[in-house]
Amino acid sequence: MRLLLRTFVGAGLIVPALVLARPVSYSGGWTLMLMNDGTKNTVHAHYSPTAKTSLGYRFEYWQNRELRLDLLQVNRLLKRWNRPDSQANLYLKSGVGIAHGNEFDDKARMAGFASLAADWENRRYFVAYENRYTWMKDGDDFFSQSARIGWAPYEGDYGDLHTWLMLQVDHLADNRMVITPLVRFFKGVHLLETGLSDRGAVLLNYIFRY
Amino acid sequence: MKKLLSATAFLMALCFSPFALSLDEKVYVNVNGMVCDFCARALEKVFGRQESVESIKVDLDDRLVVIHLRKGEQLDDATITQLITDSGYAVREIKRGE
Repeated sequence: MRLLLRTFVGAGLIVPALVLARPVSYSGGWTLMLMNDGTKNTVHAHYSPTAKTSLGYRFEYWQNRELRLDLLQVNRLLKRWNRPDSQANLYLKSGVGIAHGNEFDDKARMAGFASLAADWENRRYFVAYENRYTWMKDGDDFFSQSARIGWAPYEGDYGDLHTWLMLQVDHLADNRMVITPLVRFFKGVHLLETGLSDRGAVLLNYIFRY
Repeated sequence: MKKLLSATAFLMALCFSPFALSLDEKVYVNVNGMVCDFCARALEKVFGRQESVESIKVDLDDRLVVIHLRKGEQLDDATITQLITDSGYAVREIKRGE
């Protein structure tokens, strides 16, 4: 797992970011998400028994705190608005599990988070917002939020390579703001994002949906 | 009487001919909320589990799903609507024919 993270992330290529992707798939669908959000690297694998719920495992590694989280995550689609040319969603995400880290003398601590995420998109434009409250026993609780806008320069059909130009703004727990322009490539079951923040760090995300 | 028999035979032949069976082989479904490849993939996977479905084609431009049924198989509107819902989307209209 560490080798995978090192390979994927690369040394020092970290940008603060919450990734904004749909956390619930179709009934019977599996999804793998590999995400760098600067302060942490995340692997999230989930299964959707219905189109409104997903259950999965989440791993997070926070480099600056040398903190590791292993969480069971439940995502719930609270509401979806399906329109002829667009779709909007409201999600509740939550996770509970164990934190390990230097700040706890490498002893395991209970940890969890709750998050609300909303998005709207059509085939040309994309808007999303997400927040998260993270809790750790005997640790610092913190709140972070992120917003993203996107534009597709062309409309591709199913199976074509879709390209999106996006801008992400993160408001971190320590009150820092980070702006990250990025490009999203989307084809079939693969979604790849890469960007560069105003702090010079690289963003790299990959999602596979089966 | 002879004409009646001939007409009946003709209608029966028509009913059991490949042409008659193929009348319902394609179902055209207009779907709301279908905006990306993940949406299309979801529909492919969910409909692909149905034995009556030969294949489906998703057209994002026209917000249209074309379901190709196996010869002689049927898929009623209620089932189609449920499968689209299971995929996470909403049916606007269902049409049948060649």
